[in-house]
Amino acid sequence: MIHTEGLTRRFHDLVAVDAIDLHVEPGEVFGFLGPNGAGKSTTIRILTGFLPATSGRALVAGHDVARESLAVRRRIGYLPESVALPIDARVEEYLDYRARLKAVPARDRARLMQHALEVCGLVPMRRRILSQLSRGYRQRVGLADALLADPPLLILDEPTGGLDPAQRQEVLDLIAALKGKRTVLFSSHVLTEVEHVCSRVAIIQRGRIVASGTRDELERSAGHPGEVAIEAAGAGERLAQSLSRRGIAHDRLPPDGCVAHLGAQGDPVGLLAALVGEGLPIGRFEPRTRSLQQIFLELTRT
Amino acid sequence: MSRPLLPLFWREIESLFFSPLAYIVLTIFLVLNGFSFYSALELSGGVVDDAIALFFGDSPLFWLCLVAVPPLVTMRLVAEERRSGQLEVLLTAPVRDGEVIVAKFLGALVFQAFLWAPTLVYVAIIRNYGALPDPGQILTSYLGIAAVTALLTALGLLFSTLTNNQIVAAVASLTCNLLLLLVPMMGSSVGFAALAPALEHVSMTQHFAGSFSRGILDSATLVFYGASTLGLLVIATRSLELRRWR
Repeated sequence: MIHTEGLTRRFHDLVAVDAIDLHVEPGEVFGFLGPNGAGKSTTIRILTGFLPATSGRALVAGHDVARESLAVRRRIGYLPESVALPIDARVEEYLDYRARLKAVPARDRARLMQHALEVCGLVPMRRRILSQLSRGYRQRVGLADALLADPPLLILDEPTGGLDPAQRQEVLDLIAALKGKRTVLFSSHVLTEVEHVCSRVAIIQRGRIVASGTRDELERSAGHPGEVAIEAAGAGERLAQSLSRRGIAHDRLPPDGCVAHLGAQGDPVGLLAALVGEGLPIGRFEPRTRSLQQIFLELTRT
Repeated sequence: MSRPLLPLFWREIESLFFSPLAYIVLTIFLVLNGFSFYSALELSGGVVDDAIALFFGDSPLFWLCLVAVPPLVTMRLVAEERRSGQLEVLLTAPVRDGEVIVAKFLGALVFQAFLWAPTLVYVAIIRNYGALPDPGQILTSYLGIAAVTALLTALGLLFSTLTNNQIVAAVASLTCNLLLLLVPMMGSSVGFAALAPALEHVSMTQHFAGSFSRGILDSATLVFYGASTLGLLVIATRSLELRRWR
């Protein structure tokens, strides 16, 4: 659904997006992760046709973003990072205007508007003037606008920004419910949100994709951290002595365990065999894995 | 109108009429025009054709209204939407940049037609006094107002695409309008004697004095306004596209 090759955007001397290759399959919810200023919004603006790329190529739904911008924009629903709405319209008037702008057929307009209002919890607010809405509700209006024309691709730039925890959960549940039915590109710097709804993620840092794949793939590609939690029932002291003899740094893990620091080049399987061979009653031998948050922090550390 | 143009146009109309500035402009405009009409009647000594010529083109207040209103109406059309972020929402919808420009232009033009419409009352007042104004003269005068307003609205719209600040857009547009008005008038007296014939061809005051307010329709003048307006709208569209690259 989204395919980019060497997508680059420069603002004078600043390279905001640096040769990005991005692939989003139809029907998946794809998380676009990165700290503030990493290049997420610039990439998204290129994909939505608002900004041209300096070089590289982007295809959305099979159409070239630069040459077939209108065809691309007909197939996307876009929620920008900061939802800017006119101050002088009511919620339903605005959505009706946007539906007309997106050439939603008159026969479908009322039904799709009602659906978007219901899905985004805006039915009680439909007659409210936009300028009187809270930030959370304005965000919902933006989301309703993105959903309005029933597009095959939703591009949501920080869709939960400014929402309270309950609203945030509702938006995440909504995005999760779209999995398999719509393709969603969802940018965020909140990892728990991405873990909650995304099937695959890409991590962007200083304009470059530093990792991408499923959570498991990211954990594997980041390598094991070289730490193993070991427990030997009733033999914690012997375990610690054994590790010391082998020159393996470790911390005690009360009451009967240790965390062995093998390093990235260490051999956990060999260590397990050696400890069992010494007759230690090993009850737990667990190489530690990184959480998505740890991987993200490691990859985006400045 | 093509499909996206119609909702864009209505949104512009709603937005212009919702703005408090619109009613401030309308009030000032009507007060100035009322005073201008009163002065024209006084100065013409009751000669209807002279009063109409004075009101439509020979009065400084008429020109003040004609050159100052378009910048006030157009200044926020693109600049403010860009600043607030609404332009991003608009331009990521399936609409062409040209459609956005044309809709904004037509919206601004219709709004200004609404401003000028009450001046038709003055024609009725003249008739009430027993005088019979020449309908052709009235028609060409309003046609002249429409032509100049269209040109200056397109110019104001262009300036609005060039900046994020609506005040900057208004000041730049007003300055340009005043230059367009005053340079051809003063051309020969400030050392541009050689350019005087050329300046006369683009002089808005000459167009009114020699054509519009006399009931004469000159096709060359109409083509000048039509082509200039169209050219400025094309440049405004290109400017909107080019702004994305910066």
